[in-house]
Amino acid sequence: MSIDRSYQASFNENNQEFVISGRLRPQSEAEIKPLTEALAKSLAQVRGTFYLNVKRLARLNNVAFRTISNLVTQVCGTRPDLRVEVVTSSVMGWSTRKFLPLAERLPNFSVNEYDKDFYPGQSYLEEGGFIPILRNQTKLTWHHEKYILPRHGLRPGMNMADVCCGIGDFAVLVQKELKPARILALDHSRTSLDYARKVAADFGISDIEYVYGDASEMALEDNQFDFVTCRHSLQVFDRPELILRELFRICKPGGRVYITNEKNSHCLGEPRAESIQWTYNEVARLWADYKMDIELGPKSRRFLIDVGFEDIKVDSFMVTNLDGDPQGFADIIQSWENVYAGEMARDRGDTPEFIAKFRKGFQDHIYAALHPKGYAGWPIWAASGRKPA
Amino acid sequence: MGIEAFASEWLHCDRISSYLARMVSHNRTDSLLYANLLSSALNELLETAFAHHGPEGDFCCRVSRAGNADVIELDFPCDAKTLSFYNEAAKRLQQADLTETYHSALFSGGKPDPHLGLLEVAVDYKAQISIQQEKGNRLKLAAELALEGATA
Repeated sequence: MSIDRSYQASFNENNQEFVISGRLRPQSEAEIKPLTEALAKSLAQVRGTFYLNVKRLARLNNVAFRTISNLVTQVCGTRPDLRVEVVTSSVMGWSTRKFLPLAERLPNFSVNEYDKDFYPGQSYLEEGGFIPILRNQTKLTWHHEKYILPRHGLRPGMNMADVCCGIGDFAVLVQKELKPARILALDHSRTSLDYARKVAADFGISDIEYVYGDASEMALEDNQFDFVTCRHSLQVFDRPELILRELFRICKPGGRVYITNEKNSHCLGEPRAESIQWTYNEVARLWADYKMDIELGPKSRRFLIDVGFEDIKVDSFMVTNLDGDPQGFADIIQSWENVYAGEMARDRGDTPEFIAKFRKGFQDHIYAALHPKGYAGWPIWAASGRKPA
Repeated sequence: MGIEAFASEWLHCDRISSYLARMVSHNRTDSLLYANLLSSALNELLETAFAHHGPEGDFCCRVSRAGNADVIELDFPCDAKTLSFYNEAAKRLQQADLTETYHSALFSGGKPDPHLGLLEVAVDYKAQISIQQEKGNRLKLAAELALEGATA
């Protein structure tokens, strides 16, 4: 008979947090004695609130649940000063409903199903009318990426994940033109996923799995995918290295992780270059104030190396008004102006004078894009690294 | 597989439920969430069959889909003692205060209630559970699970 060792447990004293992840389905209490002893010891050390983090505990049977709940019940009963909060994830489905009855029995025990509060600033991108921008952006970047992706190792028949898939249009294009065997597309916005599923259903696409999840703590097993993409997303998270570590984890040894990011201050246009330049420098500052790094593009190589990737490849390309319909490019800029100047700068408390000047740069960029002799560009860095075999 | 082979290794329950749930769930709205829920429910059924079954014969696990629901059927050998166990379970599953029965079993002291897994599947996963004696000293434990949309 085998003993289940497929769980990990650790205690962080600073956060008073005991984390259990993996699978916990023992046949007997004795099998998880080291875990319960560690949990008991940790509970004995703390004052105030003790956090039991099961966000990434994918499986838990009744033997393990009863063992944990008996211990917690005993401690909560003898130490009414102590609060125990179990932190669950909606991705698991079972965990909140499993622990809630315990909260009904113990006054100093609670269940917290964590959500997306992690990411300040992202609500602008998710709820600020961004779907048309995203569709247009993907359409224009695809002109370049369909050639870049094979150079970075994407091959037909591969098992691929698209993390932070947004509205899912990139996954659809990849599936249609580059033919991986399977795409798992993950995002933490239920609105975007609903849209993605509807688009897939409308087009009769059934080989893409759109799943809900937190990119910084995915409920996906290690070493699953040949090719993992994460586009225009590290730049909108306040802790991009957390996401990158997760991309590394789910990638198979020998597989590759592909990321794209921008450096918005390098957006350019002629004529009216100076005004355009000023506005995009201010865009970078604005995003930084919301703890997002829209200048991340050229830093991709460093980020990939720091996480442990090898054989780093970096491409950069300029999406321009010459890539297709110049009006499509202009529409993207107009959408940026609407969100950055119309919402984010306003909410930051910028003066009307600043906002007017800020808007002018976007309008000048549009002018350059639509000018018969004009040129307008938006630079993007595509980088990938191989997970050591 | 033979019931003896199945019952020789506890990890079979976890491995079968995880693998099967992943395969079955791939075309559900959220495949990952669905697989997690299905694996949890299926594992409880498998653990019950692991602990309570007759001595010899085949152990069959069938999964089929009927619209929004997935139906799991476990078919295994059954002796008098096993039959008595499942008949008792069937009676308890008919009780009106099933949620209270489940929570009492979940938080009871001492040895775990042997019907706990079935009670959980019926209450937490709102499964329609049926237990049927079959020809040739066999028993079929079936659960109809409508997990799509069970959580946000």
